[in-house]
Amino acid sequence: MVQYHHRGCHRQGNHETVGENKEKRPKFFINDHVDILIEILKRLDCRSLCVAASVCRLWCTIARNDSLWENLCFRHVSPPPTSVRSVVLALGGYKRLYMGCVRPVRSRLGRARRASWARDEVQLSLSLFCVDYYERLGGSNSNGRVVGESSPSSLMFLCKPVNV
Amino acid sequence: MVLYDDSATLAGSCSGSGSGSSSSFSSKPPPMQQQQQQDIDDLLAGAGYKVRSSELRKVAHRLERLETAMVNSPADFSQLASDTIHYNPSDLASWVDSLLSEFAEPPTYPSEFIMDPVTNQTVANDVWTTTNPNMPQVHQNISYEQQSLNNQLTVVTAMEEDSGIRLVHMLMTCAECVQRGDFSLATSFLKDMQGLLTRVNTVCGIGKVAGHFIDALSRRIFQGIGGGSINGGSAFENEILYHHFYEACPYLKFAHFTANQAILEAFDGHDCVHVVDFNLMHGLQWPALIQALALRPGGPPLLRLTGIGPPSPDGRDSLREIGLRLAELARSVNVRFAFRGVAASRLEDVKPWMLQVNPKESVAVNSIMQLHRLLGSDSNLNSPIETVLSWIRSLNPKIMTVVEQEANHNQPGFLDRFTEALHYYSTMFDSLEACTAEPDKTLAEIYIQREITNVVSCEGSARVERHEPLGKWRTRLSGAGFRPSHLGSNAYKQASMLLTLFSAEGYSVEENEGCLTLGWHSRPLIAASAWQAVSHAPAALDTHRPVQSKAG
Repeated sequence: MVQYHHRGCHRQGNHETVGENKEKRPKFFINDHVDILIEILKRLDCRSLCVAASVCRLWCTIARNDSLWENLCFRHVSPPPTSVRSVVLALGGYKRLYMGCVRPVRSRLGRARRASWARDEVQLSLSLFCVDYYERLGGSNSNGRVVGESSPSSLMFLCKPVNV
Repeated sequence: MVLYDDSATLAGSCSGSGSGSSSSFSSKPPPMQQQQQQDIDDLLAGAGYKVRSSELRKVAHRLERLETAMVNSPADFSQLASDTIHYNPSDLASWVDSLLSEFAEPPTYPSEFIMDPVTNQTVANDVWTTTNPNMPQVHQNISYEQQSLNNQLTVVTAMEEDSGIRLVHMLMTCAECVQRGDFSLATSFLKDMQGLLTRVNTVCGIGKVAGHFIDALSRRIFQGIGGGSINGGSAFENEILYHHFYEACPYLKFAHFTANQAILEAFDGHDCVHVVDFNLMHGLQWPALIQALALRPGGPPLLRLTGIGPPSPDGRDSLREIGLRLAELARSVNVRFAFRGVAASRLEDVKPWMLQVNPKESVAVNSIMQLHRLLGSDSNLNSPIETVLSWIRSLNPKIMTVVEQEANHNQPGFLDRFTEALHYYSTMFDSLEACTAEPDKTLAEIYIQREITNVVSCEGSARVERHEPLGKWRTRLSGAGFRPSHLGSNAYKQASMLLTLFSAEGYSVEENEGCLTLGWHSRPLIAASAWQAVSHAPAALDTHRPVQSKAG
């Protein structure tokens, strides 16, 4: 697993560089090569990325970067037009889009999946995401609402009944 | 539920009631006596009851008598409830006999009583305390009930007196009495049904739907056809119920997404667009359209939205609030947006000049379950639907999206309407069972319940839920100068994907001559269609010819 290797490298690197002169023993420390790290993290799946975010602060910062999640959203789809990015960022960002919409949509549709639907999945996810954003707007703006729940619930139907 | 097939198999009916009914049903058959094993009815044995096949009819008849006795009895029920420990309920025959002997006399059946429709309890009058049995009336009523039931059922067997099926048949019979105007008999049926309801599981299945229909019938009989206070529900309440109906089941989402797809395709290439929404509510349909317009190749157009809705009573301008929210969303995604709200309590009060349509812009008219409200019961020339359709046509819209319930709830005969409504709403409640999100589910049920009450208990101008099937709308709209615009494969694909997301496996999208219908287990429940205005016919074909053409 790529993940295990990273952990191993990290620990080994940390252990060895403490109090040691790096020039005497040149070891590869991944945190010194952030661009390579980003390239690797870009190719991870969602679960691995979340786990990677808990490794160290640097990894956490990188994993939270929205462009990584953008890759996840459009992984199996031809690159979308650039206008999509501004819309998604305005509506809450790619990570939110992925966790809230794309991931449940993909897993639900996994049962009846057709290859030609990949682009439509993303479009449907975008639409649902937009409705969700709209509901979040309503929750924060309204002050006279008697209804107890102000949290948006239009995506609740995507949540599985049993939360693991 | 067993409503799909009237001649439901015994196995189906037994298992259907077994899963939902009281806990006295067990899944394992009790140990049987050796000598009786041959004669025991095995379907009932599967449900935990030992009844000899030869005694079935007798036991059923006695159960009926017991039920009548229990419902009419002034005795305290808690005493009866503890009797299940004393008698062996799995031996049905002897159990029924022993309980029947508890009642000293045949039940009195008062010719008048007062039923409080709110609490559904009978308020006893003096007839209860007398021991004057109206014997002829009792037997007459029971035998009438049996006779009418016999006429209704194709196969009358004792086993078919399963509570759920009985409820349905009693509902039909009661509705038929109401249609005939025989309100006293209908009232007695209502009482029987309410008694039967206590023994049926009302949390799910037929019990729940039947409960709503019994309520609606009570309203019709006791409060007249004005409909009570159902239509007085405030606009705020209606919006909340509508919102939860939106969350709980896919019908409204399907409507919104399909209509949006049609509007998006119609607006392709136009830079100045205007959407007229006949029922804005919370405006949940429009974020997706705004987002789709923002991302369309060629950039977003200038979007104007005119939302029609009921006026808010307490000074809040709810239309404006929704407009502001939508404007903020549009601003985030860089779509030029303008909103206008038109407050009208009825759609026919709206005049086209209120919409302020600019002749240079492309117009889309969106009606989600609103057009049926305009259908008056009598088709006179000035019916509201024709007025509204003609001014819609005068706007020359690029597209008009119409979504309506796929049911025939506007028939003149009450019984036909009632039967159709019973089937339609049972199917809808079935589909709602799969929803687990509370409070969405409960509030969605209240929303549907209001529709049921309106269909069943109101008449005249109070009845606004006048649903008509797709075929009738096609005829009506074609006659008003519209031609159908086929919803493309994109809409179908999107609708199918949307349905796959819902956890329930029973939804189905079908294509019907260019229109899409969403249904539950192949019964269509909601139909979406798109229309374009036919360009105006040349004046020479007009019937009102100018005088000079007639001059010889």
